[in-house]
Parts: sequence; C-alpha cells; structure tokens
Amino acid sequence: MDGVSYQRFPRIKIREVKHDYMKFELRDTDSSIANALRRIMIAEVPTIAIDLVEIEVNSSVLNDEFISHRLGLIPLTSERAMSMRFSRDCDACDGDGQCEYCSVEFYLRVKCLSDQTLDVTSKDLLSSDHTVVPVDYSDGLDNATNKGIIIVKLRRGQELRLRAIARKGIGKDHAKWSPAATVTFMYEPEIYINEDMMESLTLEEKQELVDSSPTKVFAIDPENKQVIVVDPEAYTYDDEVLKKAEAMGKPGLVEIHAKEDSFIFTVETTGAVKASQLVLNAIEVLKQKLDAVRLSDDTVEADDQFGELGAHMRGG
Amino acid sequence: MNAPDRYERFVVPEGVKKVSYERDTKIMNAATFTVEREDHTIGNIVRMQLHRDDTVLFAGYKLPHPLQYKILLRIQTTSQSSPMQAYNQAINDLDKELDHLKNQFEGELAKYTRDY
Repeated sequence: MDGVSYQRFPRIKIREVKHDYMKFELRDTDSSIANALRRIMIAEVPTIAIDLVEIEVNSSVLNDEFISHRLGLIPLTSERAMSMRFSRDCDACDGDGQCEYCSVEFYLRVKCLSDQTLDVTSKDLLSSDHTVVPVDYSDGLDNATNKGIIIVKLRRGQELRLRAIARKGIGKDHAKWSPAATVTFMYEPEIYINEDMMESLTLEEKQELVDSSPTKVFAIDPENKQVIVVDPEAYTYDDEVLKKAEAMGKPGLVEIHAKEDSFIFTVETTGAVKASQLVLNAIEVLKQKLDAVRLSDDTVEADDQFGELGAHMRGG
Repeated sequence: MNAPDRYERFVVPEGVKKVSYERDTKIMNAATFTVEREDHTIGNIVRMQLHRDDTVLFAGYKLPHPLQYKILLRIQTTSQSSPMQAYNQAINDLDKELDHLKNQFEGELAKYTRDY
C-alpha cells in the first residue's frame, strides 16, 4: 500500500535577524514551497487587531467610522494569536470582549483641556490584557518625540471615549490582520564569466560592460584589470549585461542562470510578531492546512464501494 | 449591502466536504479531487509534489474562478498506483518536508542567536 517516499530535505541558512526583519536562504526545495510560505506569511498567519468599536462620545473632527478604521489598522502584539480562538469558532462566548480565549478589550478615554492640540495615539489605548498591546515603535533610545501612532488630534473641549474589541484574524479576511510588511524571495543567480573571451576585451570595453549593469554586480579588479563579480545578488534579472555582450559581438561572454532550488528570503513584519516567529508560524499554518486537506475516511470508504460497483459493471 | 461575508473565502460551509473525490469514468486510474476553500498555496505545492512521483502520469490543478473558493486537482497514475494513493503520499511527503524545515529553521535560529 505504502508507496516510495519522494520527500525532500530542505536546508536553511540564516543571514540576519532583527526584531521585525530577517533574511535567510532556503535551499533544496522548489519554488512552490517558497511561494506557499510567502503567501501564507502575508495572508494566513493570524494576528490580533481591533475589529469592533463602540463609540460613547466623539466630538473630534473625524467621524466614527474613520476612527474605527484607523483603530483597526494599529498593529497589536500578537504572540498569543496562534493559540487563541477565532471568535466565530468560540463556543464559550459571542466575541464580546469578555472572553479570554478569543478577544481582548480596549478602552480609549481622552479629552483635551488645554489650548494646545492634543495628539491621541496608540499609547492612549488601555488594554485588558498586558500581552496584547499596541506595538511599541520607539527605538529604545531615549526619544521623547516617539509617542506611538496618531489616531486623531483634539482641540480644547473635544473628547473621544470608546470601547474597542480586538479579535484574532488573518490577512485573507482583512489586510489589518496581516503580520507582514513585506515578504519577498528571489532566486539565487549563478554568474559565469567566460575568461578566454574576456581576455580579448580592451580595458575600456570591460569598463563599458561593467557599467552596463544598472545595479553594481560587476567590477574591475584594480590589480589585474579583470572583470569580477562583486555582488551576484544585486542582479535584478534585467538582462542588460547580456544585451551589452551581444551588442559587443560577444554572445556568451557572460552567462547568468537562476538556481531553481535556491531562494533568498527577506521578511519584514509590522511588529505584531517577530520576523523569525512569523516564518515558524507560517510553516505551522501550512502544516495545518495540509492536514485539513487529507482525505476523510468516509470518502475513501465511498470510493471502495463505488470502485467495486464499477469493477462489477466493467467485468459484466 | 448584499456583499457576501468575507469569511466565506476560507470557512468551509456546513454540510460541505473539504475534499471530495470523483473517479474519471473513461480513463483508468484518473480522478479529480475538489478541495473546498483552498487556493494556489495548496494547489501548487501538491501538484509539484505529485510531479516528483514516478507513478503519476498527470497532475494538474486549477482555480476555476476567483469567486468560487475551491480548487480542482486532477491526477492520473499508472496501474502500479492510484490517484488516492498518490494524493495521500504527496501530502505525507510534504508534511514530513515541513517538519524537517521547521527543525532546520529552529536549529539555525538557535545557532544564529548563540553566535551573535
């Protein structure tokens, strides 16, 4: 019954990790896996975002809907999101903010009493759960000007009072739940320089070739005046150097191939989850999705019966 | 006003099966799998994994319409296998690949945080 396994063993090499940024290499797999991971990081890794707003008082210049929309877009720390419930799957409650499994309650109460305009920011949001708070973008340095994301500005006498409920969701539902700022991958380029042909070029011609690339991929070695590859990853697959070589009457002078099984990922998050955690969550979500598309037992059973029936009919 | 709920894109409605299977009536060892509420993410990885399988003669998927949230996956195999067997094998292999990937990533991350 069990067939041969065609499993692959991909390799990872991490280049750089910061809180909301990371760069890594993924090798020995194909573009379908790389693209699935990218798509999931953007649209299917859950986070928490404000989803329901009850406005008590709003005498600001912005209307209720406008403020609600702005509140929804504020990134909230979402380490808990993977283990939380979607409020539509939560039987314990109706997603009213009282339920610890599926929602978090926020309050915002501000009134401007001075002649100076008052900035209402994400830091004024009071959370009922200390693990789910607006993302702090201050850089750790003592920067007094960094006060969070501005929601609205109030003048003397204006007031904003509201209750907001944050829920778990995914980017496919609404972009406010996407943890990704950018997720990209590129194929690793392989660049060959035909040294024999290169020998036949004058120094000026070599310089022209180097300059034909819009990004700094090639350079001339100051010592032996040879064309060298300084940064293969700067290549944008623009074909400019190849066209230049052709125009110089030297096709094949430079050859560039994309390695089909090697990818360089760049992941940037909104700060809702750490970049490294985003990748791990994406793998986990993809595993869950694969598990969900396994054939159910009754499908297999139905086919067994139907298959027999079919065999009867074929056999006469 | 009459816009469908956004969650309809990814929540399988009640009474609908996530994966259904239909044999081809004319071709031996060929079948179409209908996977509800999935898209290119699943379709493409399963298809590519099936292409690695020597017993699979044909594997392809399509998203019939952007507002019909399902994919159709068509598989034909040699008589040594069956579409169902190939499908299960592909999913098991992908699952193991992701397990491996997760361990690799965690290992490399631990190495990176230790070194820097």
